[in-house]
Amino acid sequence: MHLMRVVIDVPVRINVGPIHPSTHGVLRLVVDVEGDKIENMEAHIGFLHRGVEKLLENRMYMQACPHMEKLDYFAPMSYDELYVAAVEQAYGIELKEKAMYVRTILLELQRIASHLASIGFLCNDIGQLFTAFMWSFKDRDMVLKLLEAATGTRMFYVNMRIGGLVRDLPPGFEDSAIELLDYLSKRIPAYEKYLEKNPVFMERNKGIGVISRDEAKNLGITGPVLRGSGVSYDIRKNKPYYVYEKLNFRIQVRNEGDNFARYKVRMLELRESIRIVREALKKMPPEGSAVGMPIRLIGPPVKNKITITERELPRGECMIYLVADPQRPYRAYIRSANFINLSAIEEMCKGQRFADIFSIIGGLDMVMADVDK
Amino acid sequence: MKIDKNELLAKVSEMKRNGFDYLVAITAVDYIKTVQALYFLRNLEDNKDEVLEIELLPDNPSLPTIIHLFKGANWYERELSEMFGIKIEGRNAKRLLLEKWDGKAAPLRKSFAWNAPYESSD
Amino acid sequence: MLISSSYSLISTFNSWLSSGNILLNILALIAYGIFISIILSVYDYLFGWAERKIIAKVQLRHGPTYVGKFGILQNLADVIKLLAKEHIVPDTADKFLYAIGLPAMMAISVLLVLVLPFSPYLQATNLALGLLFVLVLLSFMPLFIFVSAYSTGNKFADISAQRSVLMMLSYELPMLIVLASVALLSKSFNIAGIISAQSTGWFVWLMPIGFIVFFVAMLAELERPPFDFLEADSELIAGWLTDYSAPYYALSLFLDYTRMLFGSLIMAILFFGGWSGPFLPPIIWLLIKAVIISLFIIIIRTTLVRMRIDRMLKFGWVWMLPLSLVNLIITYMVFIH
Repeated sequence: MHLMRVVIDVPVRINVGPIHPSTHGVLRLVVDVEGDKIENMEAHIGFLHRGVEKLLENRMYMQACPHMEKLDYFAPMSYDELYVAAVEQAYGIELKEKAMYVRTILLELQRIASHLASIGFLCNDIGQLFTAFMWSFKDRDMVLKLLEAATGTRMFYVNMRIGGLVRDLPPGFEDSAIELLDYLSKRIPAYEKYLEKNPVFMERNKGIGVISRDEAKNLGITGPVLRGSGVSYDIRKNKPYYVYEKLNFRIQVRNEGDNFARYKVRMLELRESIRIVREALKKMPPEGSAVGMPIRLIGPPVKNKITITERELPRGECMIYLVADPQRPYRAYIRSANFINLSAIEEMCKGQRFADIFSIIGGLDMVMADVDK
Repeated sequence: MKIDKNELLAKVSEMKRNGFDYLVAITAVDYIKTVQALYFLRNLEDNKDEVLEIELLPDNPSLPTIIHLFKGANWYERELSEMFGIKIEGRNAKRLLLEKWDGKAAPLRKSFAWNAPYESSD
Repeated sequence: MLISSSYSLISTFNSWLSSGNILLNILALIAYGIFISIILSVYDYLFGWAERKIIAKVQLRHGPTYVGKFGILQNLADVIKLLAKEHIVPDTADKFLYAIGLPAMMAISVLLVLVLPFSPYLQATNLALGLLFVLVLLSFMPLFIFVSAYSTGNKFADISAQRSVLMMLSYELPMLIVLASVALLSKSFNIAGIISAQSTGWFVWLMPIGFIVFFVAMLAELERPPFDFLEADSELIAGWLTDYSAPYYALSLFLDYTRMLFGSLIMAILFFGGWSGPFLPPIIWLLIKAVIISLFIIIIRTTLVRMRIDRMLKFGWVWMLPLSLVNLIITYMVFIH
């Protein structure tokens, strides 16, 4: 009886998730497969919806920072900074140079941590037994330790304040940062050697989930996924903020548009981030304080009612459209990179094999908390 | 750039022809008297941004779909219709974006109390 | 002392077997059964622990540490936990097939180990066509995976079942051809005969291509990475084991290591001279070889990414099959002709 059922039902409809080992959270994919080939796929999201945008409308400006950090738990500081920068822009507050440098350094360290995690997840999703995952997480942990020295916590920092940060960098930070960067710049070629010399890894990623240049624009995907499709766009370069203008780095672009290109862009961006941190540490003014205003901002009246703040987060470009009231946001729209990147998954998976869904998920490197908001 | 609702399709396709071929986001802001829909478009080559602002009436607002111009508009439009109760014409969205939600209320409108319990009818 | 006493024990049992007395025969078989159970449980248990430890070391972790010295009792604790858990049979399951699938597989893999000789005097039976018997039993495995997968009524298991058939298509034929060349080279289907044919040189030196093909096919047969499509944890959750809970899951773990023991033993026997070796008693030599092969299989598990099933099929037909044929032809031309 059983055997009959399965033979007749072609294509078979499979629910991947919401509870599944490799959907990076609570994502549900309804997949129609014929044999091993994907006929059709639909992504269901929203299991993790907290209504962050509504919450922000009911919080004082600085009360919202912890909420913002929980959006992307692999790059919490980047989101925190995005929000604080939006508020600063609304109030028309200029940063001191020292604060700008410190923020740049911390953000790039956060990017390094996030990209390292993404490489581990990719290997995990394509079926390696946690080895690359553990290795990259060990390296990520060292970055987190450095961030802990700078901010006081390992993961959810909440160390951005209007006009700067909670505290200055601790003494000795530069030396330990340089030491870590030296270590990482030795590790990254090791990862590349380990993964790219592995024919099975290459086979699982090359030519999987190809998105052409025009299609990438049409789908509106961002970040390493967009740059993996050959579009050279990076907010850090195209609309420079903080001290990125003064620093020497390149936008990393790959033209293949497949899963491997996305992985490779992240690898290359790791190197660029290391360069950026090195240079920023060198150019940072030795004296001056990076400390911002105290947390209770009653402050000046709102200068700009409506502001758009864009930042290049590790997972792509995020934007806050802030309509400011004196005490709290009237409306804060968060354009999250993961949301739009995930919306392309249906396009990417068309005609691929069942096993490729998971390499594509790993290549997209999304965080479901950010998708669902 | 403020435009009228009826101009939207023509304007977006004209802008797309002129190089604004990247849709950053679609969202809305509820100003109680009006609901303002926002279309963020970008010209990647020339590094230019444009925001299209459309004023809508707060009762039963609706917008035409632009999904035939931008595939990326798919989820944004669904989010818009779900969060602001803006009907998207020309789309038969089979289901809402978020799970376990009847879609009858518009949570991001100011009339929706953020701290009152809401019973979803599903 | 231990060795000499065990020798006398073995010779006693052998004399019982050859005595023609049915009662003594049965007693000897029971004794051999106990011996095999000890080997199986010790190997399964130790490798269950060693695999965790080795993988942990490769991944810069510690692995189990709390239960017992070096966490050696961790697996025992896990098995007790699994046995104590509620056994959930899904509603969609075909109850009869669900109940017999895994035990049948376990029986087959124990039988597989049983027909292999551990030393010239330590074997259950000396089959004239032992190699063929092993092959027949081996081809039952995918069938039972198929049955147990479909019996759960889980869709992930369905995919796993389809994959098991595809996999069988890809590796079974090359493996068969390599076994044919082994039989050709040793002029015997008898496993003891194959071992004695290797007294002049291990077959791994005489036909390295054949060994590589056989090793890859064996990895696929054992569902070991990079060919663990059937249990692919990041894709199919646990594949055909998704809906097997508590005691059945514990059984599946035992099954996994029993199959690995068989795979290592057969490779040691066919290609590494079986029990032959200086000084140490034959059984020790065989076990040493098997353990080294098992460790190698585990190390592979830590490093390789899972292949894709369609690539595996292609790999089997484009590479493994021609290579196994080349191996057969070379063997015939060089050593027989």
